Amino acid sequence: MNNKKYSSLIGLVLLSILFITACKKNIPDERLSLGSDSQFIVNNYQPILGRNTLFSDNFYVGSSSVPLNFKIVNMRRFTGEPAPELTEFFPVQVWKSAYDGTEKSIAEIEAKRKLENHQLFEIREHSGQFLMWSKANSNFVKVQPDSGYVFDVEVSNSGGRRYYKDLKLRPFKERPFEPSYSDLTTGQGTNTGVYPSIMGNIRGEKTGRYLNPTDIEIQFKKNNAPGNSLSFKFVDTLQQVIDPNKFATTDWANLVHGFNMVKNSDSVKYDVAYPIPLAPFPTKYTTSSGGQAKAYFRYDRQGFGNVRESALVGMNFNIFEQGNWTIIFWFKTERPKFIND
Amino acid sequence: MKNLKEINLLNMRYIYIITLLCLCLGFNQELRAQTPAKKTVTGTVSDNQGGIPSVNILLDRRAIGTTNSEGEFAVSVPDNAVLEFSFIGYKTVKVSVAGKTKLTIKLENDNNNLKEVTVSGYVNKTKETSVGSSVKISGKDLQAVPVASVTDMLQGKVAGLNIQQNTGSPGMRGSMAIRGLSSTSISGSGNDAYLQPTSPLFVVDGVPVDDNQNFSYGFQSAGPGVSPISLIPQQDVESIEVLKDASATALYGSRGAYGVILITTKRGNSKIPVITYNGQFFVSAVPKLRSVIGGVDERSLRIAQILASDTSYYHALGLINGTPFIADSLNAYYNNSTNWQSYFYRTTYNQTHNLNIAGGDPSFNYKVNFGYFKQKGIQENTGFDRSTLRMNMQYMPNQKFKLYATINGALGKQQKGSGNGLFNTGIATGGASSSLLPSPSQYSAINSVLGAVTTDNDNKTIDLTNTIELKYEFIKNLSLTSNFNYTFNTGTEDNFLPASINGDRSSLFAYNSVKNAVYNRNLLQYVFSIKDKAGDDAHNFLAYVFNETSSSNFKADVIKNNKVVNDYLRGPIVGVDDYLTSLGGTLDNFNQSRSVAFAGSFQYNYKRRYVLDASYRLDGSSSSGPDAGYTKSPSIGVRWNINNESFMASQVEKWLDYASIRLSYGTVLQPSGNVYDVYGKYLNLGNYNGTQTVGISSGRSPNTNLQPAKNTTLNFAFDFGILKNRITGTFEAYYKQTDNLFGTKVLANTSGFGEITTNEEALVNIGYEGTLTGSLLPNSSKARLTVSVNGAINHDYLAALPNGVRQSIRFDPTTGQAILKSVGANALANFIYNTKGVYANNSDVPVDPLTGLRYRARNGDGSLGGVLNYFRAGDPRYTDVNGDYILDDYDLVDAGNSQIRFSGGVTVDFRYKNFSVQVQGTGILGRDILNNALASQFQAFNNPFVLSGLVPLSQYDIWKSVGQNAVYPNPYDYLRSSIVNPYRFAQTLFQEDGSYFKLNYISLGYTLNQKFTNRYGMNRVVLGGTVNNVFMLTNYSGPNPENVTALGRDYSGGYPNPRTFVFNLNIEF
Repeated sequence: MNNKKYSSLIGLVLLSILFITACKKNIPDERLSLGSDSQFIVNNYQPILGRNTLFSDNFYVGSSSVPLNFKIVNMRRFTGEPAPELTEFFPVQVWKSAYDGTEKSIAEIEAKRKLENHQLFEIREHSGQFLMWSKANSNFVKVQPDSGYVFDVEVSNSGGRRYYKDLKLRPFKERPFEPSYSDLTTGQGTNTGVYPSIMGNIRGEKTGRYLNPTDIEIQFKKNNAPGNSLSFKFVDTLQQVIDPNKFATTDWANLVHGFNMVKNSDSVKYDVAYPIPLAPFPTKYTTSSGGQAKAYFRYDRQGFGNVRESALVGMNFNIFEQGNWTIIFWFKTERPKFIND
Repeated sequence: MKNLKEINLLNMRYIYIITLLCLCLGFNQELRAQTPAKKTVTGTVSDNQGGIPSVNILLDRRAIGTTNSEGEFAVSVPDNAVLEFSFIGYKTVKVSVAGKTKLTIKLENDNNNLKEVTVSGYVNKTKETSVGSSVKISGKDLQAVPVASVTDMLQGKVAGLNIQQNTGSPGMRGSMAIRGLSSTSISGSGNDAYLQPTSPLFVVDGVPVDDNQNFSYGFQSAGPGVSPISLIPQQDVESIEVLKDASATALYGSRGAYGVILITTKRGNSKIPVITYNGQFFVSAVPKLRSVIGGVDERSLRIAQILASDTSYYHALGLINGTPFIADSLNAYYNNSTNWQSYFYRTTYNQTHNLNIAGGDPSFNYKVNFGYFKQKGIQENTGFDRSTLRMNMQYMPNQKFKLYATINGALGKQQKGSGNGLFNTGIATGGASSSLLPSPSQYSAINSVLGAVTTDNDNKTIDLTNTIELKYEFIKNLSLTSNFNYTFNTGTEDNFLPASINGDRSSLFAYNSVKNAVYNRNLLQYVFSIKDKAGDDAHNFLAYVFNETSSSNFKADVIKNNKVVNDYLRGPIVGVDDYLTSLGGTLDNFNQSRSVAFAGSFQYNYKRRYVLDASYRLDGSSSSGPDAGYTKSPSIGVRWNINNESFMASQVEKWLDYASIRLSYGTVLQPSGNVYDVYGKYLNLGNYNGTQTVGISSGRSPNTNLQPAKNTTLNFAFDFGILKNRITGTFEAYYKQTDNLFGTKVLANTSGFGEITTNEEALVNIGYEGTLTGSLLPNSSKARLTVSVNGAINHDYLAALPNGVRQSIRFDPTTGQAILKSVGANALANFIYNTKGVYANNSDVPVDPLTGLRYRARNGDGSLGGVLNYFRAGDPRYTDVNGDYILDDYDLVDAGNSQIRFSGGVTVDFRYKNFSVQVQGTGILGRDILNNALASQFQAFNNPFVLSGLVPLSQYDIWKSVGQNAVYPNPYDYLRSSIVNPYRFAQTLFQEDGSYFKLNYISLGYTLNQKFTNRYGMNRVVLGGTVNNVFMLTNYSGPNPENVTALGRDYSGGYPNPRTFVFNLNIEF
């Protein structure tokens, strides 16, 4: 009897809970938001091949809930035919640990990287950033002036899915080093070299005037022998070699992040890992932003009136392609003056 | 109508005269001729515990006397009269005196909640026939602790009424919410961000008092900010009734969406005038304050931090030597160990006195209550004083005519220090000063200390409320009641900053506001019953219609003179060079509002078994747009009293006392916005062609369709009482939908306006409430032990957002603590960074496989910064939600709910002979608090070159060396603290569970032996003692999980809740 009484009380309580809980169907489902204002703000992607390229800040999230899921679908050539070169997986070099410029050997650097299979053009799963891996090259990927590729992106979360159609990928031909003197579209050289990034207090041997950047031309040369190295060479107006030791106050050990320096009267050579710089991270080998490697050569001499003149010439640069590279400083108009006045 | 008002006014004059006469002459009884005496009957009235004083003795439904303090009485009555003995809480006993001259009456406890009279829609009903959800608390249960606002005593006593004592500031009341969240509107930013207060509507003796406008915590607004509810002394409160669902509040409709609290003040009900004195003396003690690092410890810590974290040893040495307060340890100015908190906090001794004179019978009664309350705050220069005089009288010469009038006057005085009452900002900054600085003086640099302590701050509120109510029964069962009320409220604030702390110029601020409100209600009521064959009332009808008009005006003026002559001559205003040194004018919260309503209600019951209650109300308000028209609020409710069924008769005898099921549905409203939102704001816009022009403000576009917020409630309830009412309980489940929530949305710039108000947001609360009261000892026992437990579970859901979007994020520019509103989920979510420990080594930081760069923090300006931005060992492990290896706004997560999910309370009451003990506790479960106070303690280390107070960190597991798995990141890396911001407010590291159980008070009472006290002419003397805020059980690491804002943020500038010790003296003459 007692049980019956109490169970009837509990029954009523349960009934009311059930009754009110049934009202929950009035409330909208709890799901993430996929806002109608979310969209790609960049529709045309033009990476330069032969280097890792990351396209950031290309998606406006708007009123959508993050994280969203992004997927490239229907990658095709502009003509509509499939593009296996971009949908198949290739082994690419990825970083496992951060590069910070303190590595003591090539092996230590290589230990931080390894090969992984990736599609050459990818989208980051939750951020919508696009990546172009350096493995892609113009031998098998269509480059401008070709119209390139067209693809769609599927964006989804628990609130639904949306498709963004006909985004364009129009890569440029490789430019193995920067600053480059080749045309962006054709890859043809428009010049024979570039001026130095920085110079000062270098006097000409003949006239004694201060040289200008226009008096110097810098050329990037690569030979196809096996190995990865970077050499610096100085030549005068007649292509006669200038002894690098003349640049006596140069910090040779920290000139580039290279190892096994070989310095002779002809040139100075380092074993390096490519690309240079390895990551856009500020180190003692790079510019302050970390975007480019810097190689500065210095010497001191006694100037007229017994003043010390600290001379400097230097180059900020990137090299993306592996191989044995030589950077030549050609003093086109005059030899620099090393002797004291 | 017009005539009626004239009558009202005419009568009022007489009432005052009569009342005064009665008071002056002590001529307060025997106004009417007594029944001719034939014999004298004496006797005693008692219960199990002894004689009951003040029992009403009635003859033919007329009071002829009361018992004295011993329960004894002597009345002169006709020979064969039948006397009725009635007393609240006891069953009425009828005894015939035929052939007797001495009676011994035993009254039996009547715990039947159903017979309790509830007020619903301005008409009294018994609980048995009311369908709405309401809880009534007797004024006797609200006396244990002296509080400025009597509503604070309701904490933990009513299921579904959530009161949080979120400030200890004297005169401020805690935040109140009935049945969950009613608004999602947030104003302000940083630590001043607050949720729009949604206090219930208070109805004091039948007159609505809105506590939400202009008084809200005195917050974000100038002026004294004293709530009108804080001006009612708790000793004058007879009972408080909390109305929770739409059916109960339907007839208070136009402002009842946040629930309604009815406060009934005392009335005279004893033929012999009763004079009651109540005095309370209380000590407010300072709670435990935080420990700080002082003197040489602070200096060495700063030096160690700079040496360890700077770029190089010599650079660090240079910085140290270039910073005098660190390096110059022999300088007397910097060679101190000042405990700043000691200058702000004090233990205070306070008192409150209340004198109540009441007497009369149903035909004429009166009450005069004089109250004085003074509380000094535990922070210097804060306090609250209140003086009140409250009077009421009722004159009912016969059943047809009734006149009731009140005059209530109150003076509230508040000192706010240098804060706004809720927060004491000056103390927060001053208290966090470096201990190296000398103690406060005119020569010291810490002006906020003197600002807080020596500023003259004087705030006064004067509140005058007059009501007159007239009832006339034209024909039997048809009556007209007319109620007229006038409220006048003025607030002044005077603030004076002496020259020495205000840049050599003293400054004067004067604020002055006037609010007046007129309220009128005319109610026509008809009661009708059809009797069945047995002669009992079978079909009972109650119908009434009323109209309601109200009008209020508010205006506040301010002058500020920044160049006063000197500290002693505070005026006249001279030396006014320009508008910068002398400011003044009317504030923009100038407001006039009008509202009118028509309502009707119909109630039917059959033999009190089946009850049907329906009402309908039409509301027009000047704050709604003209296109919105009249808002219609219907409500309907049914009730089934199972115990009155004939088939239950046998059960009722055995164990069941009552059981009933209630179901109700209805809508109520809450005005939102103001007249400017509806019609736009017109400004003086300069000259055109030599003529002054007036144009509309382009800030906010008018919205002529602005609607009041609409609250629709569905309520299911079940009441029961079993085992001779030793166990009673109520269980309720509700669905509460709030539509038309007020908000603004940005307009396209082509519209010419910046924004427009909108009513598109909607909110749903679903909850369950339970109350269980048990009398643990048998009814025959001499001792009584009552335990009452209640609890409420509430879940809120956001149902719609403006523009049909599914989520909106409110970023906070100051603290970064964003709030996510997401449709279908809880309405206010903490949208913050997810912290999962600390990086023990650099190699633990994730690396972008494409670039070879570590995970990094984006700068505040959106740039990616340099090498310092990359995370390293000792930095917090923030989750990179979108996987772009950059920490920014897209990595925020919905981490917690700032609202309370369960609240409840327990009250234990024990009485034995002359002793009584009451213990009350309250608690909440499930609330995520952001501990900003702790975060700012760590942030004090962000810059060792700033003179701020430091708090010892030894009790925290902070990261110190590479490889260490710590809980708290490295606080000392000040070079990167502005970039990585390891102790940012917006992270889960500082989100804690704010569940707590608080032992609110323990109260003891002892009634002195009456034989002893009678010798001194005192009828009843009760001595008592109470400890308030006894202890708190919580896992929360901050000082007090209750002392947080409605958004669940613990701010170090909060006013701590004191622990009070009370001595209580109650004398009845």
